[in-house]
Amino acid sequence: MHFDWSTLVLQTVNVLVLLWLLRRFLFRPVVAIVAERKAAAEKLLSDAAAVREEAQAQRAEAVARDQALTADRDHVLADAHSAAETERAALLAQARQEVTQTREAARITQARENADMRQALEAEAQDLAVTIVSRLLGRLPSGTIDTVLMQSLDGWVGSLHADDLRGLTEDDGPLVVTTSGPLSEPVQAMLRQRLGDGTLQFKIDPSLILGIEVMGVHACLRNNWRADLDRIAKELKQDDKPIILA
Amino acid sequence: MGSPLSLHIAFYIGPVAVSTPVLVTWVIMLLLSGGAWLLTRRLSIHSSSRQAALEVVVGAIEVQIRDTMRTDPAPYLPLIGTLFLFTFTANWSSLLPGAEPPTAHIETDAALALIVFFAVGYYGIKSRGLRGYVATFAEPSILMIPLNLIETITRTFSLVVRLFGNVMSGVFVVGIVLSLVGLLVPVPLMALDLLTGAVQAYIFSVLAMVFIAGVLGPDSETKQQEGK
Repeated sequence: MHFDWSTLVLQTVNVLVLLWLLRRFLFRPVVAIVAERKAAAEKLLSDAAAVREEAQAQRAEAVARDQALTADRDHVLADAHSAAETERAALLAQARQEVTQTREAARITQARENADMRQALEAEAQDLAVTIVSRLLGRLPSGTIDTVLMQSLDGWVGSLHADDLRGLTEDDGPLVVTTSGPLSEPVQAMLRQRLGDGTLQFKIDPSLILGIEVMGVHACLRNNWRADLDRIAKELKQDDKPIILA
Repeated sequence: MGSPLSLHIAFYIGPVAVSTPVLVTWVIMLLLSGGAWLLTRRLSIHSSSRQAALEVVVGAIEVQIRDTMRTDPAPYLPLIGTLFLFTFTANWSSLLPGAEPPTAHIETDAALALIVFFAVGYYGIKSRGLRGYVATFAEPSILMIPLNLIETITRTFSLVVRLFGNVMSGVFVVGIVLSLVGLLVPVPLMALDLLTGAVQAYIFSVLAMVFIAGVLGPDSETKQQEGK
């Protein structure tokens, strides 16, 4: 058996060269491509995980947005409902107020119209009463009127209270006796007798219709139909109670 | 067919005699390197069947390194992989008519064992430093230094003798049977020789890994665990 040293050296070099060649052309490329695939797979998994997380985040965001929209919708509906309720209440209140005002205005208008109508009717009734009385009196003979007037004046003056007569006559001023028509001498004499023969002045005022009005400086006594009619009309204006004539 | 123990000189390059094992080794180098170049020309993430087979082979070597050495296989993959592929291919080169396995000659086995011997020293110094590597000869006791030195040398010789003896004996037996009986009878023995060659390539690589792992520091195992 022979040991060839040159073969040993050549084979050692050959194996070392083969080591370099396989390292260069086999192991390094294969290891690199495996590592590259592994990195790509890890990147793919990482990207997938990132995409999944992003999808989950987007899903959560969508759910949150949906919930927010639902909350907003409910809030808007509640606000709209509340506003509509408030508006309805305001409109109802306004309508009620307008109805009340319209009713009040109608009532006032009605009352005013009633008052005007009543006043007109009263004035018309007063005028009618004056006309009726005037016509009735015009149909009576003048002597009858004087007799009636004198009896009426006699009775009226006789019924006057002493204080009233004193109030008329205690001043020094003249007493003005106004009648609806000219007084006869007996009536004037009777009045001078009853009211004192001072400064009596006699006047005629047809508007008195029938009766007398004695006016002193500080007092006035009326007993004529015009005064009665005026009193009745005044009482009618004061209240709506029926007039009870004495 | 001559004796396996004799070395046939194919030709001379100047004063250098090129023996037949060297010539076969060159052919093997050409096949392995050319095949590797062809197969790795168009590597892609989306691997083809050939690329997948290549990755399976490299991956299996990596797994074997990791399981045997308990460390990251990347620094040792080219050496261990080359040793295995070359030894395997050389042992199986007897399939080619007229070719004789280079590993059936002790010079080739000695060259492989010499590379393992220096690789052990290189990785030991790289891992532990020169002082640390030298200190490994005093483990577990300083009294073990002579024995450890002898062991370092003898285990290298054991690598040589083991591979040379198995491969050479296979070639020897096949040659004897072939010369005595003739056709077809040596086929089972040749198949057995192929099995022996594959097993010896595996054993040679595993022993190389064991020897290298024996001189690595404890950091390498820690790094491996951290890597996992």
